[in-house]
Parts: sequence; C-alpha cells; structure tokens
Amino acid sequence: MLYADYNATTPLDPEVRAAMADALGGSFGNPSSIHSAGQEARRLVERARAQVAGLVGAEPDEIVFTSGGTESDNLAVLGALAAAPAGRSGVVTSAIEHHAVLEPCAHWRGQGHAVTFIGVDGEGRLDLRALEAAAGSHIALFSVMLANNDTGVIQPVVEVARTAAACGALAHSDAVQAAGKLPIDVNKLGVSLLSFSSHKLHGPKGAGALYLRRGVPIAPLIHGGRQERILRPGTENVPAIVGFGKACELAHLHLAADGRRVAELRDRFETEILARVPGTRINGVGAGRLANTSNIAFAGLDGEALTINLDMLGMAVSTGAACSAADQTPSHVLLAMGRSEAEARSSVRFSFGRETTPEEIDRAVALVLQVATFPRGARP
Amino acid sequence: MSERIAVAMSGGVDSSVAAALLKQEGHVLIGVTLKLQECHDAHGSRSCCGVDGVTRAREVAGNLGFPHYVLDCVKDFETLVLLPAWQEYAAGRTPSPCLLCNERVKFGLLLDWAGRLGIERVATGHYARLGRDGSGRPALLRGCDEGKDQSYFLAGLSLFQLERAVFPVGHLRKPEVRGLAKRHGLPTAETPESQDACLVGPGESFAEMLRQRFAAPARMGAIVDEAGHVVSEHAGIHAFTIGQRKGLPAGATARRWVKAISPESGQVTVTSDPRAILGTEFVAKDVNWLAGELPGTPLACSVQVRYRHASDAATVRTQADGSLAVILDRPAKAITPGQAAVFYDGERVLGRGWIAAPA
Repeated sequence: MLYADYNATTPLDPEVRAAMADALGGSFGNPSSIHSAGQEARRLVERARAQVAGLVGAEPDEIVFTSGGTESDNLAVLGALAAAPAGRSGVVTSAIEHHAVLEPCAHWRGQGHAVTFIGVDGEGRLDLRALEAAAGSHIALFSVMLANNDTGVIQPVVEVARTAAACGALAHSDAVQAAGKLPIDVNKLGVSLLSFSSHKLHGPKGAGALYLRRGVPIAPLIHGGRQERILRPGTENVPAIVGFGKACELAHLHLAADGRRVAELRDRFETEILARVPGTRINGVGAGRLANTSNIAFAGLDGEALTINLDMLGMAVSTGAACSAADQTPSHVLLAMGRSEAEARSSVRFSFGRETTPEEIDRAVALVLQVATFPRGARP
Repeated sequence: MSERIAVAMSGGVDSSVAAALLKQEGHVLIGVTLKLQECHDAHGSRSCCGVDGVTRAREVAGNLGFPHYVLDCVKDFETLVLLPAWQEYAAGRTPSPCLLCNERVKFGLLLDWAGRLGIERVATGHYARLGRDGSGRPALLRGCDEGKDQSYFLAGLSLFQLERAVFPVGHLRKPEVRGLAKRHGLPTAETPESQDACLVGPGESFAEMLRQRFAAPARMGAIVDEAGHVVSEHAGIHAFTIGQRKGLPAGATARRWVKAISPESGQVTVTSDPRAILGTEFVAKDVNWLAGELPGTPLACSVQVRYRHASDAATVRTQADGSLAVILDRPAKAITPGQAAVFYDGERVLGRGWIAAPA
C-alpha cells in the first residue's frame, strides 16, 4: 500500500517496537508496587517520561501520561477550567481546532460559560486581532492548536500565549499534529499546557501526554489512585508508555533531517500535481505549514470519490469526513478558511512521513492523475 | 468480463454471499453499508443497518479482500422513505417502505454515489433474478427460492436501474446460500434474517416509531361496527391495517377484522364477517411498467397484492390517467391501500402500482 495519511496515524518505528517488546516480555510489574518488579516498571515509565519531556523542552515532572491526544486535550481544557479562580470561566479557542478541543469547549459553553471561537484567514491562519479583542479578565483559558491537522498550517501560539499571559489566563496548545514534525520548546512557546500523542510520531496507539507547567493548577477528570500526581489515576500502560518514550527520543533525534527530507518530497508532489492536474489548488499554501501535509482542492471533482478510487488502487489518503450520500458538512477547517462547501468537498489531504520514498511520490502523482481523470471523472 | 461493482452489504448472510460470488468471478468490488439511522436511534434494536451490521460487513469485505465503506444516508432515508411512509399511515393507508428503499436508496442514492466513483453497477443480496426479454430489455424474474423470492420488493425499479443491478444469489435457495457462506468461511453464515428488522426492533411498532419521529399527532377516533355502533375508542388510525385481527377489542360474538379506515373521521370500521374483507377489484396508481408500453387492451396476468401472498389471476386494464384497473378472477382477502400490487407473467415481473383507496 502507498500510505499517504501520516496525519491520521503513523507506522510503528522498528526501534519502538523492539523497546515495547522488551517491556511486554519481562517488566510486567505494577509501577506503583514497592517490590523489585514494580520498581523495574517504574524505572521504565520514568525513563519514558524523561524522553517525552525532552521532545518538547519540558522537565520530566511536567509530563502527565494519558491515553492519547483526546484525553490530553480534555484534561487540559476541562481540568484547567475546573481549577480556574472564581470569576474566570471564559474560554478563547479557534474555529479550526480538532474535535478533541472543540467538543470539550462546546460542553463548557453548554454549561453556561462564555466560549469564543476565533476565525482564520483564507490561508488558515488565526485572526490574532480577533483573539486580542476577545481577551479579558474573565478569560480562564486560551486554547489554540500548534499546527492544523487538515491543512498543516502552523498557528501563532507564541502570540496566543503572550495574550493569555497579559490577561492572567492560561494558554493551552494542542500539539498532537505538530509534535515530532516541528521543533517544540514549551518555554519558547510560553504555554502552560501542551497536548501530544504517541501514534502520530511512530509510537503505539493508546498513549499520550499533557505537558503541565510546574505550579499550574488543574483538576483531574477521573478519580482513583495516586498515579500521575493524582491527575490521571489508573495503572500506567507501561509498554505503550515505553514505546511513546522511545518514539519521542527518535523523533527528537531525526526531526530536522526528517523534516527537510519530507518537505522536499511534499513540495515535489505539489509541484507535479499543480502542473499536471488542471483546476488544483493548495489549501493554506500561503501560510507556514507542516512539511509533510498537502491539502489539495480538485476543482469540479469530489474528494470522497477521489479518496475511494485511490483506496481501490492501493493509496491511502483522507478527506476528513465520512462517506455520505447527502451533502454532509465538509471539513470545518476549510469552511472556516472561507472555502465554499463545494470547494471544501473537492479537497483531499495527503500527508507523508518518515517512510515515504521518492518513488512513492512518483507513483502517488501517477495515481492521482489517473483518478482525477477517471472515466466519468469522479465528478459529483 | 471483470467489472467494477458496488455491493450493498447489510452484514447479513445473503449480501455477504453475493459479494463472495462476485469476488470469485473476478470482479473489482467495493462493499458499501448504508447507514440508515443514527446509532442512538438503533439502540436496543437488532438492526441490519446498525453498528453490528457494519462490523460484520467490514469483516466479510476484509476476509474477501476488498474495501468497505459506510455511506451515510440518514437524512435522505428519512426524506425518501420514512416520511412518505408516515404520510401513508396518516392517510389511513399501509405503506410498503421496502419498495421505496430499493427504488430510492439502494438503487437510487447508492447507484448515484457509485456512479460518482466511476462504478456503474450495484449488487445486492436480493432473491431475484435478471434476464432479457425478446426486445433485449432487462427482465426482472422471481428468485428461485419460492419461500424467499423478493422480486416483489424490486418491482419499482426502472429499466435504467435494472440494467445496473446485479443479484448474485437470486438463482440460489436459502440453504444453499448458508452453505456457501460456510464454505467461504464468512462470519455471517449464521446471522439471523435481517429482513423486516431494518427499521424497528422486535415488538416495536413501525407506525408508532414514525409518528414519534415526526412528532405527528395521532388521528384518534372510534372503532365502529358495520352498523355504525361505536365499539371503543382508539389511539390513532396508524395502528391499523385492512384485514387486521390482532389488537382489536374482543367482539361479543366472534372474531373481528378491520374493514375500513377513514382518515377524515378517524373511524376504523370492523366486521365480524370474514367475507366483508374480500375484494375483487382495485385501482393501482403510479404504475411502473417494465414490460414495454402499458398494455393497450385488457391483459391477463397474475397479481400479488402484498409480499407474503400467493399471486392471483387477474385482468388488468389501462385507464385514461395511466392507472390500472385490476379485476381478480377470485376474491382476495384484505386488498390494502398503500401496498404495492406487483404484476407477473409467470416468473417475470411486468410492473408495479400502488393500491389506491376504494373510490
């Protein structure tokens, strides 16, 4: 299969798999147990914590392990709001967040609190002026993603954190898509909370982390034992955490080289598609983007039909929406960028990664060319 | 010749075997499960279109080695099938939603959607066959398994739709289908019959489910005997169908059947004379005639006035407005407005019309 959906998930790195196999084999202890088997498991978890912290420039004691990006986002948003001082309950977020942030924010609004969703420009960049206008002493939390999953467009999180600090609010960033693809330093970003996930950076599914700046109060969402400083009770998923740690270490190590390589491949893909498929346009091309992501509108074609036809030819890509006979609402991200429903529905997301080869790019171009000019044209 | 075919897969045994047979013939397949209702609507019911069905269909497609997709038809299904069905109940008639689903959804929406992918044919697990008549037109034929034949439900398809339909199990009998499922190692070999369970779970009333979904008022009224004496009150005409015996208040003397339903007065007329629900004549409207032009002269054929019913010999005359006047050779029980009348010549489907209320 020609896999071009790295933003959905990534294959397990062989070194990660080896580290996990070791953890699955011998170290079955409960990290909370006081005996030697427990101590060994604890050492593995703490080593992973240091590896994970290293990826984002944090201290190990600032990392809370979770089940993944969605849980990290929920813990960040709802946990910070639950612990916010009296009189501060407002949230400022963006219209292009992942549902793992949008939905907890919508839930919070449903409970009667003010939540503002800030828009983006035509290239998918946050409207900072609107964000500043929404700031105030009633705001408890700003939450803006570091890079968008659909378009790869990088958001001005430094400015968001500065605005948050100026009005005494916390800043959270969903870095699930950015982690492992962009160099991240939580201190340079200035955020107090940052979510990321293992399986987006060649680690296993079922592990994630929330960076929580020292001294920042949040409340747990679930209650039980004293694991993860009571913020995330429950026996740790040791093998997945070990894999996550190894994956972060590798990502940190390879980040710069991987980024340059994949940028070259992605750019070549885009150049070829733009030149050879009439009516194509890159969504978010005018903004800073993740090096691996290419969101392309195929004017007059149907993104869902393209996706399925590519799947039938052995190439995996994404439209970001379920198959629908009706005109289902397409990507909320593209709509927020001012694209029409038809334009949004004609868009397909290609995302490449560590294992993408130049030959695959050539094949990908040929396959896209084939389906975009299919008899009856995959036309709506 | 290898073709690209979309297989409608409910997760049941028939559509699974249909897919396996097409795969064996070397066609390029995609499996599609139609999502007809939201998961929370399907809660607790054994729905062939629900999550279990999706899971089983996906497993079958995976085992057979072709991709599977879920096509969200929830909104369209409501507009194209459920709302018209409710409107029939509200008008005192008894709808045939399965025909609408085939005409408008499986061979409507799904066929259109597949066309967008460049796939021109849709296969289902229906027990019906396709042939050609003398003029080269596609002919819809009864399935070989008399007990399972579903040509009745497909009689509303147009020639365009029939040209693009594939019914891989129509020549088989149900036990053969189950046998093939086992031989192909399909995980659906033992799944229960899904037919009629698409929309409601056991013990639920389809009509009442529709009424609640559309928040429609019930047309309440009286149950009266043939002399016009009120027997009791009822909670809505949608709960009744012509010929119905169950759910009626016990008569003083004998069994009772529903003879007539009036949406205007809300009256449901019952009779204790079984002969009173026999009929020999009716009009079929909105006719879909598959065998060329509508017959110009009286045509002798057979007609089936509901799904679970043997066909009756009849004479059919085309009327000026395009409807058909149907006269049965022998009286039939409970000819029910809203049901489809499907006309046959032997095993070939000639066409279908909707049974109109008596004038």
